[in-house]
Amino acid sequence: MSEPGPGLRAGAVAVGVAVAGLVGAGAALGLHVGNVHNGLIAVSFTAAGLVVLRSRPGNREGRLLTATGAAHAVMYAGRQYALHPAAPSGAAPPPGADWAGWIGVWPLPLVMVLAGYTLMCFPTGRLPSPGWRPVAVLMTALGAAMALVSALWPVEYARTGLPVGPPLQLPGAAGVTAVFDVVRPVGYLLLQGIWVACVIARLARSPREEARPLRGLVITAGAGALVMVAGVAIWGSPRAGLLAVPLTAVAATVGVLRLRRATPYEALSRLAGGPASPANLLDGVCAAVADGVGGRGVVLWVATGPAPAGTGGTGPAGTNGTALTAVSGWPAGRALAAGPRTPDEIAVGRWSVTPVVHDGQVLGVIALEVAPGEELSPAERRLLGELSAQAGLVLRLQTSAHRLVTAQDEARRRIERDLHDGVQQRLVTVAADLGRLARAATAAGQEPLRQQADAVRGDLLAATAELRELARGLHPAVLTQDGLEAALGQVADRSAVPVRLTVAVPGRLPAAVEATAYFLVSEALANAVKHAGAQLVRVDARVAPGGLAVSVADDGAGGAQVLPGGGLEGLADRLAALGARLELSSGPDGTRIGTVIPCG
Amino acid sequence: MVADDAVLFREGVARILADVGFEVTGQAGDGAVLLAQVRRDPPDVAVLDLRMPPSFSAEGIETAAAIRAEHPRVGLMLLSQHVEAHHALRLMTEFDGGVGYLLKDRVSELEGFAAQIRDVARGRTVIDAELVSRLVSRRRERDRLGDLTDRERSVLALMAQGCSNLALAGRLHVSVKTIETHVRSIFTKLDLVVDEGEHRRVLAVLRYLRA
Repeated sequence: MSEPGPGLRAGAVAVGVAVAGLVGAGAALGLHVGNVHNGLIAVSFTAAGLVVLRSRPGNREGRLLTATGAAHAVMYAGRQYALHPAAPSGAAPPPGADWAGWIGVWPLPLVMVLAGYTLMCFPTGRLPSPGWRPVAVLMTALGAAMALVSALWPVEYARTGLPVGPPLQLPGAAGVTAVFDVVRPVGYLLLQGIWVACVIARLARSPREEARPLRGLVITAGAGALVMVAGVAIWGSPRAGLLAVPLTAVAATVGVLRLRRATPYEALSRLAGGPASPANLLDGVCAAVADGVGGRGVVLWVATGPAPAGTGGTGPAGTNGTALTAVSGWPAGRALAAGPRTPDEIAVGRWSVTPVVHDGQVLGVIALEVAPGEELSPAERRLLGELSAQAGLVLRLQTSAHRLVTAQDEARRRIERDLHDGVQQRLVTVAADLGRLARAATAAGQEPLRQQADAVRGDLLAATAELRELARGLHPAVLTQDGLEAALGQVADRSAVPVRLTVAVPGRLPAAVEATAYFLVSEALANAVKHAGAQLVRVDARVAPGGLAVSVADDGAGGAQVLPGGGLEGLADRLAALGARLELSSGPDGTRIGTVIPCG
Repeated sequence: MVADDAVLFREGVARILADVGFEVTGQAGDGAVLLAQVRRDPPDVAVLDLRMPPSFSAEGIETAAAIRAEHPRVGLMLLSQHVEAHHALRLMTEFDGGVGYLLKDRVSELEGFAAQIRDVARGRTVIDAELVSRLVSRRRERDRLGDLTDRERSVLALMAQGCSNLALAGRLHVSVKTIETHVRSIFTKLDLVVDEGEHRRVLAVLRYLRA
């Protein structure tokens, strides 16, 4: 990856110098109101194109803008030369003025095609869809035909006010001009209408990040069009409108640069200002990478262990021998690869990887897919480095949160086990001894003593039952011993609302995943009973490509929300620690709580 | 024979069994030792903890299955700190009678416990009342239990615990004929196939309650 290639850079410099020379020399020949707009368009579009070329070398829009600017520069210079009076008055025009003026006139329809095509391709440098290609071809054919006529017969001279005549004198000029006068307004209207239609069509279907620059362009172009209409209506001349065209170039530049590219500061501040949960943060890092350095796709991979032997290969520094699992991506909702990959398997095609390092430890990689020809500038690479450091911090925090959850589960399991093996065993033993005492009392004919012993035994067993429930709430033994299906069955058995339970979980999953799914279902069921007044709850747990998918949907009154200190917040925290997020939708049709917990 | 890794409780059980007239022929701390003792001297009934070393999961059921495979006539009474439907169903499915599944709490009701041990020794099936009442009171989507009369519901609960028609008649102070009528009515209302074997009847009812 590099900055614009040396060839591209030299070409850009040459075009820049040529345009500056043409416009500069032309301007030195005097001010001609009828030609000023060409000079301004030349300068503004060329400058816009060069700026885009420099910062987004892979975006064809830069080349198109530059070409539009350069074409106008040629026309401007040609007309300036022809308009330049060699002597105060009556003198012969400068040598070659007829040809120079000709150069400044006939390409107009073609230049309009180029400018229109440039706008049609805005802001990506490509047509919105292949369906527009025939339209572009038609537009080019129309422009070429008009330009050809204009090159052969002086059909446009009357409007340009050139003091020199055409260099070619073909017969039939009067007839052709009469026909062209009819064709011209229709042709020009078509050439303008096509790109306007194209931009509006693109705006209607564009994703959000594209819509903003497009809106800017439409507003600017629309304002220019209004000025032009007003100018034609009031002064009978499109000149005012033509003078507004350079603004379109400015809007186009801003649009292309803002497209998928925020400044490093913007990208970082957007990241910091986003919703703060670890899972969201990773999405935020991916979005910030996409935002800040462009690229068609971004995926964050987390190191999950050493790679299988023999697949290490030549990954980027420090990532050799690491198995990686995709955890987050941009655009949001993109399908993430299931199962671990090595860095070499990720860095294929147009994908490149940047290691995510924290405290010298490789925690994962950020994979970036760039468009063909797209390359990163040094500033973008710096930004990528900073963002990968952010990702490193997030991953480190996530790892410790994961450890905390695991440690908490382990502690609960230990307490449950201690209760089971210790105090619960003692209590049932004491109850058994009380039973013996009662029997002995009966044998000794001491009925009151037997009744007393039985009453104490009853109390003791009630306490034992309470303790049993307490231990179950801490960490159900059935979950540890028999897995999620049995544990969820137990929850469903005890539910005060009918539960339709579907479990498709073959085998065992990591303890933290099972426990979290169990707690999610318990919490959601309790809420459905307590708050929603549900009649039926559907519980679904299945192993999906992204991990364990759990959902609990009730038909209750809705109104569930994540409140500070509430059960759902604790659940969201626990899920976030496992790299999952809490999906909550709650309305009059009921509440659905779901998640997909990665099992990698 | 009694097997439980909790020594205090195991000895308590042994004392109780001795009190109510059983001969305790051996005590074991885990399934392997119990199995060895059963091989040496097969008892009428083996009383064993469901959660035992080394795995502390369903060790008791595995040991029970091993005993049943080698000595089909040894009754098996599993005790646990908590009774779970899936364990009960597994015991019902893998064993054809002569098996019991009770909370450890039940040991303290000496006479009742003794009777249940004897039931298991006779090849009957015993399921803990708490588990059954939990399943009977469980909320269902289309609850056909609602079609049952109160009397039929109590018959159903006792049936699920392993009571025979004779035992039911005794418990509810009615004739065996009346009980048979109740049972038939229950099976018709729940759309269950009437099965003659007591054990199969328990299994069918448990499966129904769990579904």
